[in-house]
Amino acid sequence: MPEEVKKKRITDIGPHDFHDYLPPVIKKNYGKWAYHEILDTGSMVHVAENGDKIYTVRMGSPRLVSGSFVRDLCDMADKYCGGYLRFTTRNNVEFLLDDENNIEPLKKDLEKLGYNVGGIGNVVANIVHTQGWVHCHTSASDASGVVKAVMDELYEYFVEDKLPSKVRIAFACCLNMCGSVASSDIAIMGMHRKVPKIDSEKILNLCEIPSTIAACPTNSIRPDTIDGKQTVKINDETCVFCGSCYTVCPAMPIADSLNDGISIWVGGKVSNARTKPTFSKLVIPFIPNDPPRWPKVVEAVKTIITAYKNGAEPGERVVEWIERIGWTRFFKITGFEFTKYHVDDFRLAETTMNYSSQVRF
Amino acid sequence: MGKKHETPLLDELKKGKWVSFVREIERAAEKSERTEDLLGQVENSYRDKITHWKHGGMAGVRGYGAGLVGRFTEFPEKYPGVKECHSMRVNQTSGFFYNSDILRKIADIAEQHAGGLLNLHGSTGDIQILGVWQAEAEEAFQKCAELGFDLGGGGSDLRTPSCCVGPARCEFANYDTLQICYDMTQAFQDEMHRPSFNYKFKLKFSGCSNDCVAAASRSDMAFIGTWKDKIKINQDEVKNYVKKFNVQKYVLDKCPTKCMLFEGENLVIDDSNCVKCMHCINEMPKALRSGDEKGLSILLGAKAPLVTGPRLGMMLVPFYDVLEDSKNDYEWLKGLISNMWEFWDEYGVSRERIGELMQRVGVVTFLEGIGLEPIPEMVNHPRGNPFIKFTDDED
Amino acid sequence: MTDETKKKLEDKIVGLVKEYDGKKRFKPVDIVKEMEKEFADEGLSKDDIKSVLKEIMNDEKLVYGYAGGSFLTLPDNKG
Repeated sequence: MPEEVKKKRITDIGPHDFHDYLPPVIKKNYGKWAYHEILDTGSMVHVAENGDKIYTVRMGSPRLVSGSFVRDLCDMADKYCGGYLRFTTRNNVEFLLDDENNIEPLKKDLEKLGYNVGGIGNVVANIVHTQGWVHCHTSASDASGVVKAVMDELYEYFVEDKLPSKVRIAFACCLNMCGSVASSDIAIMGMHRKVPKIDSEKILNLCEIPSTIAACPTNSIRPDTIDGKQTVKINDETCVFCGSCYTVCPAMPIADSLNDGISIWVGGKVSNARTKPTFSKLVIPFIPNDPPRWPKVVEAVKTIITAYKNGAEPGERVVEWIERIGWTRFFKITGFEFTKYHVDDFRLAETTMNYSSQVRF
Repeated sequence: MGKKHETPLLDELKKGKWVSFVREIERAAEKSERTEDLLGQVENSYRDKITHWKHGGMAGVRGYGAGLVGRFTEFPEKYPGVKECHSMRVNQTSGFFYNSDILRKIADIAEQHAGGLLNLHGSTGDIQILGVWQAEAEEAFQKCAELGFDLGGGGSDLRTPSCCVGPARCEFANYDTLQICYDMTQAFQDEMHRPSFNYKFKLKFSGCSNDCVAAASRSDMAFIGTWKDKIKINQDEVKNYVKKFNVQKYVLDKCPTKCMLFEGENLVIDDSNCVKCMHCINEMPKALRSGDEKGLSILLGAKAPLVTGPRLGMMLVPFYDVLEDSKNDYEWLKGLISNMWEFWDEYGVSRERIGELMQRVGVVTFLEGIGLEPIPEMVNHPRGNPFIKFTDDED
Repeated sequence: MTDETKKKLEDKIVGLVKEYDGKKRFKPVDIVKEMEKEFADEGLSKDDIKSVLKEIMNDEKLVYGYAGGSFLTLPDNKG
């Protein structure tokens, strides 16, 4: 029997036990942290009940990284923190140090390598995003490119603490929303705007008709026959261009180079602090794709950030600021146009109307 | 070494202060030749303003229906290096903790068996190794497995659970998010690797209601840390904060239930009216701490828009004593999850998330199905319309 | 579950997928439900059926496909 066949295949082992990668000071104080203090946008300290301290230095990351990037991190971790590091849910890198004196040298080394130290406190946090044209077949836009262009513009807000509260921006390249976009202070989302094209030649080979019909949230897909061959037809009047059918049926492509683009949403929140979690709301229904740097998207995000910075009280998240001043004024201040698309006409839409005489003039 | 493809548009994204993903793809291409064609393909998309990844085609490792996501270029002749460009989902550690040794080994695998590119991390939480060819998938998988890392979820299955940094480095954590995330991942290996659900199912664990993993906006079952007893107050530290900023205005006045007041210099909290929103603790971490009777709330049904619309997590179980249940191998929780999965199996339709099923059959029917009683914590307010369907079991 | 029942179940599952190849995408959840009914007399549990399905997949008599949701298909459909 050849060697590779004899070797037992490893399956169903799950992830590596995280305990193996906890720095000693964390192992010792696991569950016994007393408080933390933010030192600056790039570093913070957590203090244990017994007075032990762990320092964190945070740097941004494009999420899509090379092996060489990983090795850079590892070299830094070996040099300054016994090799220990972690990642955050927003794709930042965090170095875990027990010696305060290593903070500044580590930051300098990271900056020398071209990395961005920051992201803690009242800042624009790293943008959570999806794969886009780099790796996805349903995307209505690229993801990494838009994020890069926006973060270049907002760089000062990642490295300096000068906003009323934290601003979380997320990007999803289509309605599938692989990123946690729906509840962000600012959500940027790829949109399709045209009805899928049906490839009736291929549909029977590639797709299952009943599940394709069932995929539609608005019941806009019906069975059809062309030249005696089974296919489907779409009711253009009711299709909302979500791309759900394409997800189950490759013969219904929806991407369209002229009509795809980006929408912008604001005022979502996942934290329960003060107010309940809520979805982001529509601000700009459509901006055409404009690679490589999507200037209109960047400008719109900058406009929102600037208005928020000027208008919000300390501690107010974007949604709290807007609800205090009212959506009417938000549109006035930012200059964005309120259109028919801003009125919700999908399911449960009526709950979004104003059932009162309360208006701000 | 000359560039294989000219990339004038992508080159624009190497400018600016934020770290550039284009530079990262280029660095990967230096180690893994196939990734040069990825640069070409992405430049092509930038030119045409459309994706050039094909839909369809299969990829996987033996016996698993998850862990390898198939990806094929529309232009295999032009970009042979990405004829196949699958991504391998490798189950991350709880809390994303690593050391340099293991990360270097994972980078080796990415460079030797794939395109030298990684996502750290994917949206759900996995490490993703990009640019895998089917022929090497098994070897790459087994090399990860030898390091103690299995593949993550995908398809109609339990997606890779994930959690916040928790008690490892956060004083706000009300339970051990890392441990339960690890334990649940281990308990449901079969459900992760061999899709047998109507659609995806996500579990996410946040140590407090700041919800740093956005559990309540994207996981079918969100576990949010909370406590039942009184917030612990250190009055001396409160006084220190009062010296530093306007505590009345920025903490007390912002409390959603106005359950805090100053009696003289002392802070008093009516804990019976506290909704554990975390605001005061966030603002004064040295002065205030959650109580001793810790546990978590379970919220159900959050999801992204497809198919029938986005949902946030709905309060299902206000307080679950996870520490106690963990001593019993999570018997109660596993029972609840299995009731839910059985109900979903029985009554759900294809591509219907559990939140959508609950909406379709009605919350009360759903609760009966999984063996929970309706309680006031589940609603914002009681029904406001009189269309009540009385049933005979009232007699 | 006897070896004979196991073989019967295995043949039935693989046979169904073969028979409907290109016409219907069998989701594992549906197969399990259907087999539960089909083999009710032999007293097979969901877990029995799942374990047989696991063996079928491990032997690559069938493989998993994905199009919006997971389904079972023949290995030669691969690529």
